[in-house]
Amino acid sequence: MTTDPADRGVHEEHRVQGVDHAAFPTFDPAATVRFYRDTLKFPVVHSICAAGWGPAEHPDFIHFFFDIGNDDRIAFFYYFGHEPVGDPAARGDAWARLPEGTPEFFANSRHLAIHVDSEEDLLEYRRRLDDSAWPCEMQVMHETIESIYTHDPNGYMIEITRALRPVTPQEDLDAALTIDALCEVASGPEPSLDKLLTRKAELIVERAADWDAAQQAPSGTGAVPR
Amino acid sequence: MSALFVLDVPENEGVVRVAEQDAVLQVDKVGPYFRIALDDHDRPAPDPGEAVGAGHTSTAQQIVIDRRATGCRHAVWYSAVAGLQDARIVQHDKNALRLVHR
Repeated sequence: MTTDPADRGVHEEHRVQGVDHAAFPTFDPAATVRFYRDTLKFPVVHSICAAGWGPAEHPDFIHFFFDIGNDDRIAFFYYFGHEPVGDPAARGDAWARLPEGTPEFFANSRHLAIHVDSEEDLLEYRRRLDDSAWPCEMQVMHETIESIYTHDPNGYMIEITRALRPVTPQEDLDAALTIDALCEVASGPEPSLDKLLTRKAELIVERAADWDAAQQAPSGTGAVPR
Repeated sequence: MSALFVLDVPENEGVVRVAEQDAVLQVDKVGPYFRIALDDHDRPAPDPGEAVGAGHTSTAQQIVIDRRATGCRHAVWYSAVAGLQDARIVQHDKNALRLVHR
């Protein structure tokens, strides 16, 4: 338990404890259960059977939850009698079908990534997927992470990922500078990576040396200067 | 002076090493970043020139980092640049990262 006042301040400000649940609609609960419970072996940990939800037009529904580790959960809604809208052949998922011409990178940008600790664990999930109707579509090892990807029966992209090394303190500084530059550039005319990197260089010159000095100092808190 | 910044993390070591071995570039440290600089002040902003293939090094007019010499693969190579100081990227592909004075 830390007694550093600065650390206590960070703790009091940032009090959340991870994902309680991330919820998605499904039109195929049986396949959803085969994927999450029977294939990935995520335990069913909770469910709600509800006759409507107050307003008369709200359909009866089942809300069911799978444990994704760390007491975090992925949850689904199945609404009795509610049919999907949109072209089922269009890019997208059970929640929405995207307009024609939507690029794949954009469709795939929204996804859930579930963490594992080791290569052994990652390969175990790959094996489970490859033995199922939802085989691994892609396995990628960047220099810093390794991930496998598939789409669940609802069309939601699921990633399982492991870190190849811990995140370093300087990456927190780098992220802070990127985000400050991004907010400025994206709020201005014609945002571009060139403009962001030019602004970020100015922020590096303004703040990186001081950050380094604070890291070296015995009272350094690791907090990112603003 | 034209310069790019590269964060000091293990994956970027190859980029920094290639820059350090390039006689026309200067590499120094700004906090946890490496600044890779070309002493090209007093020069007008040059024409972006032609894309180069593999195996090139910097000249008086441009910073060139050869991708294969860095050993970087896709993800790190395309995310290694942290900042641009009076510099403009005119090539960033599988062969090279090339910058000229802005």
